This record gives sequence, structure tokens and C-alpha cells, in this order.
Amino acid sequence: MPGTSFHSAMTSRSSERFGKWLVSAPPLVYLLFFFAIPSLIMVLASFRTPGEFGGLSPLIEDGKPDLNLDSYVRFFTESVYAQIFVKSVWYALLTTLFCLLLAYPLAALIARSPKKYRDLLLLLVILPFWSNFLIRIYAWMIILGPNAAMARAVNGVLSWFGHEPVALLFSSFAVLVCLVYVHLPFMVLPLYANLEKHDQALLDAAQDLGANGWQRFWRITFPLSLPGVYAGAALVFIPALGIFAIPDILGGPEDSLIGNVIKQQFLETRDWPFGSVLSIVLTVAALVLAGLAAWVGRSQLGTRSSGALSRA
Amino acid sequence: MKRLTLLLASLLLASVLSPAAAKDQLHLYNWNNYIAPETVKRFEDFCKCEVVQTYYSDNEELLAKLAAGARGYDILVPTSNVIQPLIKGGQLKPIDKAQLPNLKNIDPAYLNTPFDPGNKYSVPYAMSLTVIGYNDQKIKELGLPTDTWAVVFEPKYLEKIKGRVTVLDSSSELFAAALKYLGLSANDVDEAHWKQAADLIKKAKPYWAAFNASSYIKELTVGNIWLVHGYSNDIFQANLDAQAAKRPFHILHGLPKEGAVLAVDNMVIHKDAPRPDLAHKFMNFMLEGKNSAELTNLIGSGNPNMEALQYIKPDIRKNPAIFPDKAMTSKLEQLKDLTTAQRRVRNRMWTEIKAGR
Amino acid sequence: MRRRPVALWAAAAAGYAFLYVPLIIALVTSLVSTVLGTMAGVAMYRYKTRLLPILVLTPIAIPEILMGVSLLIFFVLLNFTLGLASVALAHIAFCIGFVAIVVRARLAGMDESLTEAARDCGATPWQAFRHVTLPLIMPGVIAGALMAFTLSIDDFVITFFTAGAGTVTLPLQIYSMIKIAVTPEVNAVSTLLMLLTLALIVIASKLTPSLLRSD
Repeated sequence: MPGTSFHSAMTSRSSERFGKWLVSAPPLVYLLFFFAIPSLIMVLASFRTPGEFGGLSPLIEDGKPDLNLDSYVRFFTESVYAQIFVKSVWYALLTTLFCLLLAYPLAALIARSPKKYRDLLLLLVILPFWSNFLIRIYAWMIILGPNAAMARAVNGVLSWFGHEPVALLFSSFAVLVCLVYVHLPFMVLPLYANLEKHDQALLDAAQDLGANGWQRFWRITFPLSLPGVYAGAALVFIPALGIFAIPDILGGPEDSLIGNVIKQQFLETRDWPFGSVLSIVLTVAALVLAGLAAWVGRSQLGTRSSGALSRA
Repeated sequence: MKRLTLLLASLLLASVLSPAAAKDQLHLYNWNNYIAPETVKRFEDFCKCEVVQTYYSDNEELLAKLAAGARGYDILVPTSNVIQPLIKGGQLKPIDKAQLPNLKNIDPAYLNTPFDPGNKYSVPYAMSLTVIGYNDQKIKELGLPTDTWAVVFEPKYLEKIKGRVTVLDSSSELFAAALKYLGLSANDVDEAHWKQAADLIKKAKPYWAAFNASSYIKELTVGNIWLVHGYSNDIFQANLDAQAAKRPFHILHGLPKEGAVLAVDNMVIHKDAPRPDLAHKFMNFMLEGKNSAELTNLIGSGNPNMEALQYIKPDIRKNPAIFPDKAMTSKLEQLKDLTTAQRRVRNRMWTEIKAGR
Repeated sequence: MRRRPVALWAAAAAGYAFLYVPLIIALVTSLVSTVLGTMAGVAMYRYKTRLLPILVLTPIAIPEILMGVSLLIFFVLLNFTLGLASVALAHIAFCIGFVAIVVRARLAGMDESLTEAARDCGATPWQAFRHVTLPLIMPGVIAGALMAFTLSIDDFVITFFTAGAGTVTLPLQIYSMIKIAVTPEVNAVSTLLMLLTLALIVIASKLTPSLLRSD
């Protein structure tokens, strides 16, 4: 009956809009209040001058607002900061790549295992990460120490080739290893959440049609898992950009990353405006890169999801 | 779903109802391990109150938190170069000397400093020197000197200990050591002199294992690192640990003849302290010789309290890095705070050093 | 004389605060951020809102020090007493993003036609969500919740700046002890906290088996 379908169509559209507001409003409001506003305070801070004794100098000085672009100018003229920044991006990219290579097989393994073991395996992946972050970094100090088994083995092999012993600890190697270690579950979990849903029937069909193992993976599993890959990459790359504890503890004299420099600005140098500038640049860069990746991801997924969405 | 909610609710309830005494409380914001547990207990018995301790590991963290407006603390224990920013920033409450009869115990040489003339806000607590720490076995084998900063900065010595040396991850401390080695004052603010110091540091950097302010004690104790630029009480600790682990070597202090940095930590009261009365009681208590000595005996920190000397263990009392003689004292300097402009220049140089430029 | 870190014994005297305080904060954080994060993930995927993705992703990108300091200033401006609550509120802000990303990735791999079929059969959007979508994305939600819990329990930087004068968590404790080298006691306590958390999860899963099952 036309009347009823029109009526139900109307209510479904408005309830759809209502549903949209219901679902997006709470997180929006929470983040606006507890994130956007505090961040605006710091964005404002980047235009101010540092307080002589720490913190920020008063906003209104002699009746005029004390705002300037000093800190931004500094960032763009003193190139050493940009140099460290690029290095940090490079480290973060490497970390993401290695995390992906290590996490993918693990996530696939968990997704394919019998249901009753899956939760246990997931828990085992996550469990070490409920012990303290700093203690785990310390553990790497022991593992990579010059007298420990790993270093002795590596240097033993190197000495056969007449090469000088290398230090595993206090080096970029140590920093990278620990970066990958610390971020691994953040790659495993999204990948697992995605891979778990893959329909085995698709793969069986492909096999029936003559595809071998590699083809099945590369042309079916991997493309379907891309949203998980992008999610994991975002969750690894972005935090890895800002990290400072790992280079602090495990790094050598030249392994300072942008996170360390930012920390210094807030603590040692007490230059909050400059620290804000560096942070804003870091945040913007991270978001731009994440946005790029998402855009690439969306255009690849385009055919699958846009069809479904246009009918929703 | 319902049962999960029930579980969570009961957990939250249990936690809220758990023991939380609302007695008199003194909030002490201090370095970790900078007060002996026996002393705290004795104070709690004495004042019939509870001492709630929170910790920071860096003066700068303290400054940053207070600058952003944190409150609730009674007593803070900052180092002298940080006292000036705190006073100028209006963060401290003046002390009522009438409540501190034990103040007379402090060696006058440490009172009335340029940071706090007349001790209006602060009272000295403990001290440390930034010196050289070394593994006596290894360094004797290699025949290296330990009474000069040259062993930290000169490649001719460093190549024998390449990868086995760490320096502090603090621009002020490292520049101070470099400036002292160059025969200048640690508080020199001439940019040309800073450039000289930076060049010295860059030349020595390839031989250093790391810039490390935290785990070098452990590395010394374990024998991975043989020579450090570090704090005297940390080096004392490393030696205690090494002896306890029955290592075949000792960790000793090396006092550089060019001079070193002296850091005096002071007790101050925060301007918004909830219990200034308890704070004063605590200060007076810690100014008693016996209580002050307990910290020195525990961690090997220097002690400005004359009455405490009789309670300090003889081997600590004789250690020249903890109780330097007159000759050494004349070469010690306390670090002064820099202006914003100076801090920016220093930071650029420091970042360049760290970036490998 | 064997040196003992003051921290642990004093805290033990204070009723094991440093053990249960981070647990409570992490539980609350995990719960709230999972709910809000799931909502955000669904909203971002279904409705393609513009503002939400930015607000959700930026807390992850922003250096923790910046967030910590800005939240501290913010709380002080509001005259909000620092304590457990301030830390939890701060943690939730950055955990929402993690949950949202995982949930959205899960949704992207999901088959829309199931939800549509439910709607065609006469279900309201809420019913379709509750009985069709939610069970299908549950593994993503749980994965997100686990991540939020992990992030909260181990967080140091933001906790440092937003903690009150008496709030003590294990990461704060440990960070302040870094200078004197980590003693075996700290490792023991860390393990204890981990086991306690595990026990909690196991109990929870026994009481609500359907939640953790993957379908």
C-alpha cells in the first residue's frame, strides 16, 4: 500500500538522521571538550612567548595581546629540527613496515586457528603489554648488552670475517628493535579483527578455479585485508613518530628523535611555544600522511564499499 | 552483559570503600629514594600524621607541572638553580624561621646563597657533585687518569674505552664539564665559549656509548660501562650494588682537578600548601643531625648539616667526593639558571650535537 | 645494607594504591572509550562525517607531552581537582581513537547486505544494529577494548601531568625510580599487576562467555 510505504520511508529517513546524531554526538562532544579545547590552548601557546621562569608569559601584556610568530620562524630557519624530523619519519616508516611483516603471519595464524584457541592466543599477544612499558624496554637493555648471548653470537660471526665488534645496545638497531616490539600488538589486533571475517568459501572457490597458494593470498586475502593493514599502519606509524622513551634509554649519542626534542622543549629548555610549534608540525604531518593512506585505501576499496553505501 | 556490569560495579565499589585514612597528611613531592624509610616512619610517629609521597625524577618536570598550575603539595625538594625560577614565578611560600630552631645546624657556607638571600624560602637538604665514576679494575688495566675531565673529552684517552663511556643527558651538566675542562666557569654565558665547548663535545661524541642519565648506574654495576660522567650519589650506589653482587671490581669516584658542578637540593614550601604547619614540622625534623645523617648513610649524598657529621659512617665521611676538602670546594660551582634567549641558543647547540651535525 | 626503594613500601602501606588505582583507571577508560569509540567508528564508516575523523585521529598523532600539559592547564582553568578522575578523562580522550580505528576497519570488511536484509524485514535501525551489526563487529570492539585497557594501564606521560598530588600509578613510580636502576621488587610488582589484570579478564570471560567468543 503506497501510503504505508511512503510513511515508513519518511520515518526511516528521519530516524536515519536521528540515528546518525545519536551515534556521532557522544564521542564528538567528549572529544570537543576534553581534546579540542585543551589543544586550542596549546595552539594559542605556539604564538606566545615563553615565560621567563617557565610556562608562558602573560597573554595580555600592557593591554596588548602578546602574540608573535617567533617560534614558527625559528622552526623554519634552524634546519636541524627539520633534519631530526625527517629522521623520525624514516624510523616510523621502518617500524611500520617491520611490524606489518611480523604481524601479518601472526594475525593470520590466530584468525585461522580453531575458535576455542583464538581468545587465548589474542590474550597471549596482549599479555606482555600489561606489564610496564619501561620495564620491558629495560629488558631489551639486558638482551642486547655487550656480554649477553645475542651480542656475543653476532660478534663471534663478525670476527670470522675480520670485522670489528659492533655494539647492539645504544644504537639505532636497538631503537628499531624495541620500536617494533612495542608496537606489534597494535598491528596484530586490527589485522586480526579484519582477517577473522574473511570467508573461507572465497578461497576455496579460487582454489577450485585453479589458483595456487600465492595467488590466493595476493589476489584475494591481501586486498580484502587492506582496511586492517591501513588501520594497523596508522596505529603504529602515528604513535611511533612521537615516541621518546625508547631513544632515551636504548639509543646511542646520535639517535635522538623528534619526540626527544619536543620533550626537551617542555622540560629542559622551558620553551613551551617552541614545543607547541614542533608538536603542531608533527601532528599535522602525521594526519596528512594518515589521510593520504586512507585516501589511497578508499580508492582501492571503492568498488566494494561504495556500491553498498549508495543503497544505504 | 548484565553480569559483566555487576562485576565492574562491585569492583568499583570495593575500590572506593578501601582503606583511605583521612588523617593529617603531609604531601611530600621529592626525588625517588631521597629520604630513608626509617626517617619517614619516625616523622610519622613524631607528628602523628601520614606522609604521602609523590616523586619526580627531574627538576624540570617539577617546574613544568607547577607552571601549568598543579597543586596539593606541601614540601618540594628542588635543586638550587631551580629555586630562583620558582621564587620569581611566585610558587613558594616564605618560611617562618621561628618554627625552625634546628636551622642553626646548617653550615653557614651553604646559607644565604645568591638564589635565596637570607633563606626566605629554602633550607638546604642534601648535596651531590657531578664527577667521574669508573670501574677501578678496567681503568687501572688501561692506565687511564681519573682526576681530569680529559678522560671524558680527549680522543687519545677515549679510544682505549670506546663504547664504554657514558655522559649525562643534560645540556647544562655536559656543557658545564666541558667549560670547566676548557678552564672557564661552568656558568659562562659567552656564546663563543659555548661554541668551543660544543666542538669539544662533538669531537668526543663518537667514542661515547650514550647520553644517559638513568641507567648508567646499572651499566656500571654490571660491567658493561667502564667510565661515566655522573652524580656522586649514583656512583656511590653503583659501588654498593657491585659489592652486593660480589663483582670483582669497585666503582670509584674520580674528582677532576679542573673542578665540578655542585648541586644543593633544598626543602621549600609550595605557595598553596594545604598544611604549612606540618611542612614546617617536617623541615625542622629533617634539620636535626640524626635524621639528616640517615639519608647520607643511605645514598652517599653530601650533607650541609654540621650536627649530622657525627652520625655519618666513617668511610662515607672520608670520601672526598661526598665531603670534599677545601681545595676541591673552591673549584666547585653551583649552576645558575639561564635567560630564555640563552636557553634557546643552548638548545639549538644541544640539538645539533644530538643530531650529529 | 640492601637499599630498598621507598616507593613500594610506602605505597604498600597506603593500601596497595599503586596496584588498584591504575586498574580502576584502566577499567573505566576501557569501558567508556570502547563505547564512545565504537560509536565513533560506526559513525565514521556509515555516515562519513567530516569533523569526527579529525577529532578522533588527532589525539593519537599528537605528542603525549602536549596533550598532558594542555589537559593540565585546562583542568586547572576549570578548577577541577586533579586525581583519579582527571587521569581517566585524559586517557579516554586518546583511547577513543584507537577503538574507533579498529572498529571501522572491522566494519569495512563486513557485508552490508545482512544489515539491509534486517531492515527490509522491518527492524528499526537500533534493532538492526543491536542484533546484526554489533555481534558481527564484536571481535573488533573487543580488540579495541583490549587496546584501550593496555594503553591506559601503561601510560606514563599523560598520567604524569594530570595526576593529583596523591595519585600514584606504577608507571609513574617506575619512571621516578629509573635513576636508581630498577630493582627486582619493581619487576615483581609489575608481574603482579599483569597477573591481576589477567585474573580480572578470565573472571569476566567466565561470567560473560558470549562477549568474547568470536562470532
